[in-house]
This record gives sequence, structure tokens and C-alpha cells, in this order.
Amino acid sequence: MGLGAIVVVGAGRGSINGFSPEVHGDSFLSGSIETAEILGRSTIERTIERLVRAGVETVTLLVPRGKQIPAFTAKFHNVAGMIVDDMAVAIAQQLSNYSQKSIEHSFIVAGNLYAEADLLDLFYFHREARQVATRAINGSGPLDLWVVDCAKAQHSDFENLLTSAGVSGTTYFIRDYVMQLREPRDLRKLASDALSKRCALRPGGIEIRTGVWVEEGADVHKRARIIAPAYIGRDSKIEEDALITRCSSIERNCCIDCGTVIEDSSILANTQIGIWLDVCHAVTNGNKLLSLQHEVIVEITDPNVMHATGSIAKGDRGLVWSYQQEFEQRQTVADLIQEQSPLRQTRSLQPILSRGGD
Amino acid sequence: MQTRGPVIIMELPENLNHAEGGAFLSEMLPLLETNRPRVVLDCSQVRHMDSAGIETLLHCMEEAMKRDGDLKLAALSPEAAAILELMRVDRLFEVYGSADDAARSFHAVASLEEPKGLPWYSVPYGLPDLKSAS
Repeated sequence: MGLGAIVVVGAGRGSINGFSPEVHGDSFLSGSIETAEILGRSTIERTIERLVRAGVETVTLLVPRGKQIPAFTAKFHNVAGMIVDDMAVAIAQQLSNYSQKSIEHSFIVAGNLYAEADLLDLFYFHREARQVATRAINGSGPLDLWVVDCAKAQHSDFENLLTSAGVSGTTYFIRDYVMQLREPRDLRKLASDALSKRCALRPGGIEIRTGVWVEEGADVHKRARIIAPAYIGRDSKIEEDALITRCSSIERNCCIDCGTVIEDSSILANTQIGIWLDVCHAVTNGNKLLSLQHEVIVEITDPNVMHATGSIAKGDRGLVWSYQQEFEQRQTVADLIQEQSPLRQTRSLQPILSRGGD
Repeated sequence: MQTRGPVIIMELPENLNHAEGGAFLSEMLPLLETNRPRVVLDCSQVRHMDSAGIETLLHCMEEAMKRDGDLKLAALSPEAAAILELMRVDRLFEVYGSADDAARSFHAVASLEEPKGLPWYSVPYGLPDLKSAS
């Protein structure tokens, strides 16, 4: 008995069987919302990791034409990406392929769905119900997550099957945290929920202080202030007198210049924010700022204020406190901890740990 | 341009950048050269504003305040509000929901001004004109 999964990218604002190529927020984001990194990784990457952890043997990523297959798929040996024209036809075709490979059941999930559901429990529930499809629901309504019987599903009216699974067919109720990313503001909500521990999502990197997560390669000036909870992404740079506060997240390759305040905001990857600015209750991507308070997207034409950057020059590290050394030191400690028994390592590594915290 | 008594109401252009900001400033400066200029800038049409636009607003306010006047903003569009907040200049201006409200705020201040003919101590201390009383 095998278990597969089909992950749909760019499923659109509606349900997965709406097959709309439009993703709300595309004008703000440079790609699909599910590929936008939040706290170090994209939602779709986290979804695929959950599927793999649940024992899914093979995952197929269906990407509508005009969008790119995310680069992270290369690090999974059992994930394949496909560019498709018609999503409904592609899903049906893939179910047929799975059936031929003796994969009996498959998850179908929208890439923009972050659900902390027990996927194995969902699968067992579906198998016991002996239905063609089971759709997950929560308190807000049906979710874009199904389990289908590959052999039976390929012969039935596919779109009706997925729709009826949520309306009249078998449903599986999820009580855990669920976030369906529809708009860029949902990225902010997810980051805020994760940093304030309202969900199980944990940021990447190491927790250098309680609630302050810093990724490898991040440079934080010794006079910059980071107030927990906060997240600083890989190769990002926080300059002198900058303040990061109230569950703010700075993603990969960003630069927050001198004196700028980032409050209750998410700075998406490759964004440079100029000096002495106030970014409050906002999501920024390159030179675009989504103000959650004023509900407007503003495009900043002045590159001194905000601009997109492919890579940030490391600059002079002489005055900048680098977390790189601390990261490497703690990684070494973590490796040693894994090698030794819990009791012995606590005593023998205590001096190293206390030096690392200085 | 509209007027509400001594208050001048000007509408800001849709794009307040270097070019349009310069044109707007040249239109504004003669109005700001009067005694105690009271100006309301209606920002309802503003969709884009850059550093030069912000500079224009600050320059206008500076000119008004030099002559004991004031400049207030009204009907901020969401775009203008977001940009002013980003650039930290929202706290420098008095902001009102509409141009009429902003104009009325000038009248409210005017009505609090000390009446002419009374000595300096009569308004804050509630004292009558001591000369005439004696």
C-alpha cells in the first residue's frame, strides 16, 4: 500500500478545483504566495516536509504555466515538479499514474495551505470511511486538503468529486492550527502567530535569546536593538540604532539601515529598507509596502527609501557584531551534544555553553 | 484653491514628486508670504509621494510657521498616510479627516485669541481692565 501526494501551486483564491491561475497578491509578491518565505522557509516547503514526515512516498508539485518550479524541490529525492496547462486534467492524470505505480491513496493539497493536522490520522480516517475522497474541514469551512482513492478517483467526475467531498461526502475535522494563505497580509498573520507561539511553526536558525531567532550569516550591529519575539533571516543585516520589535520578521538577504524601526511587520526576502524610517503594521517586498493599518499597497519609487536587492554586500564587518561565529560555535556544541550521553554532555559542555552565551 | 475666511485650502496633486512638487511649491510660495498664512492641504488625491514631495510639504510648513501661520493636512488618502508614516513625518503635521474640519480648527484657535483692547493679563487670569476699574 503506497501513499502519494499532489501539491498544487497557485490554486487561486477559491478552492483547488477552481483552478484559477490568479493568486491574490501576485501584484505585490514576485511569485505565488505559497513560495514566499516566511520565517526562513516557504509554506509549500513546510507542507512538503510534513507530507514526507507523514510517510508519503512520492510528491508531485503541479505548477501552472508561467510560474517557476521552486528551487527547494531539488533537496527532496521524492519530490518532482511539473509545469501544467490545465490543473484539473493534470491532477486526474497524476492520480492515474499513481494508480499504475500501485499507490492506492493520495493527498491533494493546495500549496498555500498551512495546516498542522495529523496527516496520517486523516489518511486512516479516509481509509476506514471507504469513500472515494475525504475533504478536510475546520471551523471556517472546507479546506483545500483531500485524501483520494487513486484508482476510483480517476474514473469519476473529478471536479464534482472534490467539491462534493466537502459538501455531502466524508469530511475530516481539523482542530489544530490552520492558515490558508490568500493575501499577503496572511503571511504577516502566520509570522506573528509563529513568533508568539500560537502555532507549532518554528522559525529557522538558532534562538540566540528567548524569542529571538537568528539565521546563519545574519549581521546585527551591536547598537541595534532586537526585542523578542523577532526573527532575522539568513545573510540579513541590521544596522546601527535599528529597532526590530513586536513579532517582526526580517527574511533572507534584507538590510535594515541605521535608525529604522520595524514594528509588527514582515520584511520579505531581498528587501532593503533605508535610514530613519518607521515600518509599522506592514509587509514589505522589494520597493512595495503593504500597510495593514491603511489597507493599501504603496510602491516606493525612491531607492533610498526602499528597494529590492538581489544580494547585499557584506561590507565592513569590523564594527558589526556577527552572529556567524556564535552560530558556528553553537552548531559545534549541538553536534557534540548529539554525540555524547545526555548526562555527561551537560556537565562537560557547560563551560563551552557559558562561553558561547557571553 | 478654495478659501474659508482667512484659511486657504489647496489640493495636492496625484503624484507629489520632484517635478510636480516643484510646480506646487511655486504656486504655494506667494500664498505663504502673507502675514499669518493659514493653509490646509487636501491630500485626498495623492497616490504617489516621494522624498521630494515630503520635502515640499515640510518647506511649506516651515514658510508658514516663519510667519506665525500654520499648515494642516486633511483627508489623507491611504497611500499618503502610509508614506507619511513610513517617513516619520505624520507626527509633524496636524491631520484632519476633511478640509472643512481642518479649516474649522483654525477658527477655533482664532476664537481663543485674546480680544483686542484688553490688557495682556485679562484673558489668562480673568481679570478686568484694572485701569478702567480704578
